[in-house]
Amino acid sequence: MDNRTRPVKIAALGMEKRTYSTLQLFFNDHCKDSYVLVEENSADISIIDMDGFQACRMLEEHKKQYPDQPSILISLSHDKAHDAVYIRKPIMLDALSSALLKAKERLQQPVTETPAAEEIVQKPEQQTTDKKPKAAAPLLLNNVTPPPQETVRRAKTGAKRFDQYRYSANFLTEDADLEHIDTRLAANFNPDNPLQAAEFQYQSEQTLQGYFQQAYFTALQKQQNVVLKGVWRPITILYKSKQLRVEKNFRHLYALSGMLFDKSEVSIELLDNDADCEPGLNETVLPAEPFLWKLAMRTSRGRVPMDTNFTAPIKLIRWPNFTRIIVTPHALRIAALWAKQPTSLMNTASYLAIPLQHVFMFYTAAVSLNFVAPAITEKDQTTATTPPVKRHRYRKIFQHLLARLRNN
Amino acid sequence: MTNYKIIFTGPVGAGKTTAISSISDRPPVSTDKVASDMTRDMKKTTTVACDYGTVRLNDDDCLHLYGTPGQQRFDFMWDILVSGGIGLVLLLDNTRPDPFQDMTFFLGQFQDFIDQTQVAVGVTQMDRKSSPCIDDYHSHLNKQGLTIPVFDVDARKRHDVSLLIKALLFSLDPGLLENND
Ligand SMILES: Nc1nc2c(ncn2[C@@H]2O[C@H](COP(=O)(O)OP(=O)(O)O)[C@@H](O)[C@H]2O)c(=O)[nH]1
Ligand SMILES: [Mg+2]
Repeated sequence: MDNRTRPVKIAALGMEKRTYSTLQLFFNDHCKDSYVLVEENSADISIIDMDGFQACRMLEEHKKQYPDQPSILISLSHDKAHDAVYIRKPIMLDALSSALLKAKERLQQPVTETPAAEEIVQKPEQQTTDKKPKAAAPLLLNNVTPPPQETVRRAKTGAKRFDQYRYSANFLTEDADLEHIDTRLAANFNPDNPLQAAEFQYQSEQTLQGYFQQAYFTALQKQQNVVLKGVWRPITILYKSKQLRVEKNFRHLYALSGMLFDKSEVSIELLDNDADCEPGLNETVLPAEPFLWKLAMRTSRGRVPMDTNFTAPIKLIRWPNFTRIIVTPHALRIAALWAKQPTSLMNTASYLAIPLQHVFMFYTAAVSLNFVAPAITEKDQTTATTPPVKRHRYRKIFQHLLARLRNN
Repeated sequence: MTNYKIIFTGPVGAGKTTAISSISDRPPVSTDKVASDMTRDMKKTTTVACDYGTVRLNDDDCLHLYGTPGQQRFDFMWDILVSGGIGLVLLLDNTRPDPFQDMTFFLGQFQDFIDQTQVAVGVTQMDRKSSPCIDDYHSHLNKQGLTIPVFDVDARKRHDVSLLIKALLFSLDPGLLENND
């Protein structure tokens, strides 16, 4: 048979199951037509793991039985005692490929003399962690600075009391939330026109969203439970578990999202941490983040907080936990873009070819939880002016996959 | 027929097998079958330590989902497993003693691959143990200068696993079009 067309038969000897199955994957993925894995007795070439139990004895036996069979030895050590192609672990793809080619050459040469041992040199394994640059500190849009991470960690470990209430309310599926935003409204939006700009901004500090946000970050910063009072039933924020205690019928709170409240109508009070925080009979406990996210989204209705800069680049500080909050239209794409490259609200809409109000809505929800912030470092400023994201060479494939993920 | 693959990794019990079956077309094919397709001479099938599933994309293309064997020791196979992969899904089990150490370990092991592609992290078993929380994972990642998706994921739920993969795809190409959602 012609050696060039028939696949070379490879036996893999002395390997753990995992190693063996990886070789299978390798041959299947990369060189289906060139190599196949077979049993020892029908092989052209063998790959032998020298780190296994009794590997040396196995090698001796193998040499005795199949003296003409070229072999590739893999090992953690330097040992080059045998006349074989040697690869040191960890095995890199290139090394394995060139070892196979070498062994194949030997196979095709008539055996006249014993070839010397060869070692395939591969690049050393890289040491990895902690070489990335540090991230810039998150920029906060309100006056309250979150507490240093360590204190947050310490605080949270003790609090499991309300875990049973986790996600007792469904924050995910309410189509009404993505309620009608007439996306044509912002079609000709010009951020330099103050009248138009004002139409898409709102007084977030004077909304329930704004007050809740302030109360929430106060609780986190002070490491104290906080109660927010107003025309609504009191909302207690439990800082340790990042949860809130509200009346069971909390949904009507979202309906307050369109109203403005004067400071004099609202109070934020710090609570004694020893005070009893079990929910009352008509109360329930909710996770705070999804609540604020949804409240901000509802309040936004496709607008942004006052003083938002429409043309300054925005960067992603933290990916929202999208499996447990409402994914606003195009939220994943916007988050991915801002993680890759800080981009202004205006440019985001045009790069992604999506309605400006969807960008506004995502921005408002995300900024209420400090997941995003204007990019202020020089580096971010410059990258924001460079051309937008490149098209991935597999975009078409990804598009098919997205469709599949949606369909069933 | 062109094959594309996504790699699932993480410690034992993190939900790799379950996640792969949640989104595979058929119950994941055991790699035994792949083995016998490959080498018809090989009669003895070995139970293979990798998970494997497929998603048919169209007549010509198929997505393969591979789960790494969840062994934490030095592992020289990963380079082979990831070659040609389009991205990494890292699943972490929130009930393990030190899930941050797991995260650092796996991100380190796959750093070269991640540098060339993208990663999305799913934290599983949060219904059984809610602390640490997702924020804590971000704090650790922030220290390493990383802004990557980290979601609370129940590997048994297709919705959760799908979202994680979507985040991976959009991270690779934010210009992808959403299918009307
Ligand atoms: N309660 C709970 N169980 C889960 C979750 N994700 C996966 N599991 C279960 O955890 C177990 C281990 O998952 P498995 O897929 O075998 O993990 P692997 O070792 O990474 O392949 C299975 O019984 C899954 O059903 C989760 O989020 N919550
Ligand atoms: Mg498994």
